[in-house]
Amino acid sequence: MVKLEEYRLEDSTSLTAKCFHGEPASCSFACPFQLDVRGFLRRASEGKWKRAYKTYRTATVFPVIVSTLCDQPCQNRCQRTLLGDEAIAIREIEKACIKYTKNRKPQAYAIPPKPEKIAVVGAGVAGLSCALNLAEKNYQVTVFEKEDTWGGILRDHPDFPAFDEDIKLQFSAVDVDFKFKHKINSLTELADFAAVYIATGAGGDDFGLLSSWNDEVFTTAKDKIFLGGMLAGLTLMESIAQGNLLSKIIEGYLQTGRASLGYDVYDKNYCGHYLEHEDAVSQPRVIAASPEGYTEEEAKQEAARCLFCDCDKCLTQCEMLKRFKKNPHIIAVEAYNDTKANPPYSTRSLTRQTYSCNLCGYCKSICPEGIDIGAVLRLSRRARMSAGIHPAALQDFWLREMDFATSTGAYISAPKGKETCEYAFFPGCQLGAAAPENVLQAYAYLAQNYDTGIMLTCCGAPAYWAGDDERLDNNLEKIKQDWTALGKPTLIFACATCETLFKQFLPETKTVSLYELLAQDDQLTPAQPFAEGAVFDPCNARGNEDMQHSVRILAQKAGITITELKDKNRCCGYGGLIRLANPSLYDEITQNRAKASEKPYIVYCVNCREVFTSRDKDAVHILDMVFGTGKNRKVPTLLEKRENSLEVKKALMAEISGTSFTPEKQPWDDLTLLIDDELQKEMEAKLISAGELKEAIWQAETTGAKFYDESDNMCLTYMVKPVITYWVQYREVGPQTYQVYSAYYHRIRIKEEG
Amino acid sequence: MAAEDRKWKCWQCNQELVKQQVLFTYLGHTFSHDLPTCPKCRRVFIPKELADGAIAEVEEQLEDK
Ligand code: SF4
Ligand code: SF4
Ligand code: SF4
Repeated sequence: MVKLEEYRLEDSTSLTAKCFHGEPASCSFACPFQLDVRGFLRRASEGKWKRAYKTYRTATVFPVIVSTLCDQPCQNRCQRTLLGDEAIAIREIEKACIKYTKNRKPQAYAIPPKPEKIAVVGAGVAGLSCALNLAEKNYQVTVFEKEDTWGGILRDHPDFPAFDEDIKLQFSAVDVDFKFKHKINSLTELADFAAVYIATGAGGDDFGLLSSWNDEVFTTAKDKIFLGGMLAGLTLMESIAQGNLLSKIIEGYLQTGRASLGYDVYDKNYCGHYLEHEDAVSQPRVIAASPEGYTEEEAKQEAARCLFCDCDKCLTQCEMLKRFKKNPHIIAVEAYNDTKANPPYSTRSLTRQTYSCNLCGYCKSICPEGIDIGAVLRLSRRARMSAGIHPAALQDFWLREMDFATSTGAYISAPKGKETCEYAFFPGCQLGAAAPENVLQAYAYLAQNYDTGIMLTCCGAPAYWAGDDERLDNNLEKIKQDWTALGKPTLIFACATCETLFKQFLPETKTVSLYELLAQDDQLTPAQPFAEGAVFDPCNARGNEDMQHSVRILAQKAGITITELKDKNRCCGYGGLIRLANPSLYDEITQNRAKASEKPYIVYCVNCREVFTSRDKDAVHILDMVFGTGKNRKVPTLLEKRENSLEVKKALMAEISGTSFTPEKQPWDDLTLLIDDELQKEMEAKLISAGELKEAIWQAETTGAKFYDESDNMCLTYMVKPVITYWVQYREVGPQTYQVYSAYYHRIRIKEEG
Repeated sequence: MAAEDRKWKCWQCNQELVKQQVLFTYLGHTFSHDLPTCPKCRRVFIPKELADGAIAEVEEQLEDK
């Protein structure tokens, strides 16, 4: 695990290193010019001929020559063919692009002239391509050609007049000194030039240098003398491409004295990635109606047949990634940069996104490279937390709930009258909070059938999600001790999140899901809430085949016909604690999940149930079917959840240890608050518990620190909890009884004056 | 009646509130705003509309930095 003090850029970037989003498509790797085929076809498909042409011209140098003579090796790597279709008719589209680009005249470049003189020997395509590219950068270029015109072997081609036009056009905006009928007999004639390119064509004069030729950077044994093209055995297309590349190498050589490749060169053996194209449909090639080639419309249609091969799976399927529109590599870099920022001098760019991730692992499950963006963002949360630069108020609520569940709410015991046990039930903190009977009935069942103790506490998921290593580690340590004291029992989980966390951090524990044990019992017939339903598997049950399978068995025993969701194990929205950090995203995600099927849901995570019930989506917990009537439940309020948790503890203590549990009482616990439904709903959405309001009112009433309106005895006060300030407007309506009129909070702090 | 329009008084000091400059801090940033305050003990009144509106916006901006 990464030590945060030593958080390095590679710690993030290594997590996304294999992401190939934005990498050229497989066709481009086959193209001698490494043309951005995908980008070119995109523009062509939109009829943006001028922009398409620019892409094409920059890569190929002589568009007419290439679009006539290239033998289209890209077609062998066209992913269209994976669907059984013909490859994209790329050359026909290239020709159409040239035809429909209104003004192809090259622009003169406003670059200051450079003093270096460069000689090119040979005016075939290799020499021309290099000369043109150097001249465009305003070097002083002289081309020596023994014949009386340019073109090399192209001069014998029937289409030479068109090629000749193309060359003329491309050279029309630059100054190049062509010396025709000028044969170079010895390189000493060129001593004045800063660099020389020998491109005398197949079988041409190599001045004795071919044997020393370096086929990577095209140098020779002689300083400043480069060589290439068909003289070195390249094809015509390769020669044009090489001239282009060589112009860059020569430029670098003139600046640094060294010939080397830039970054933009591909590994020749690498072919790019092939994608799955699950949703693509077969489409036949567009056939030109006229022998003259494609009409504009036909060309656009054929270009639109391109699949624009580029992986963006996670970026389009995860609502969060879709919303923030940042590619994985940028996320990784910003995650690191953000921990080094020093506001206000430099600001952070990834904070909101960091806390908007469900940490659900869905991206990892669909990425062809298995990349987990959530892992990058959790690393970022951990780094921020350890540096103390995390927006604490966004997650403080859940961390306080965890603290409650691991202290006042916790209860660990072997079964009645025993010190150790073979099994221990680990219901998780939220099950009892949401539905006390579920825990009590499940425990009663387990105790009857197995030697089962109880571990009532929180697994630490809130700390895990918040990136709070210290809280997480302390809690795990405590759990480990308790578990050891119980004789290292096999843990029975009702919550997939708990089980996942244990598998990751306490791999020494043996675990089994409650549902698996229940599914094995032939005596059990769960109640049937509806005849047809869809199982909504929580994100943390991904890969937990036993759990997923057992729940289906139980649902089938209830006589439910199960529909499977198209996309399984998606986070309901609760994961990663994003609700306060990004309320509108939370809303979008929960809505999408609720809509994933028309059918009612069978769930086995209480958080999923709460999300759906709050959205009025019918969702029944499998335990309510096994032990109850199969009826859906109301979501308890935040205060009721705490009360429920204590009730569970109380009942279990009485049952197992025979002791009565009286939680430590706060003086404000006895206040009665009257809160109407609408306000209650608003409070729940904002995670304001009536418990906080009681405390605030009690403080105000005992200290007198409040505002009041004497016309109707209305009162208003606030209370600061670690990072949140709660406000409550209320009026006394009876002894210890208050009507609440409004409740709200803010995260900024009023600066107390000294 | 909206909480903002009420004639709030500070219970302890028995004073009507007056607008004063109030300092706030959040995530290491400090800024000020004029708000009804008890002239004596300086207890500040932040109305709900402000907390849910402008303040929430500022909070979000500062959290993003
Ligand atoms: S479908 Fe388009 S992007 Fe994909 S390989 Fe073929 S031409 Fe290239
Ligand atoms: S972990 Fe989940 S929410 Fe986060 S980026 Fe991946 S798919 Fe999206
Ligand atoms: S799924 Fe996402 S992370 Fe994976 S390769 Fe595609 S774009 Fe990159």
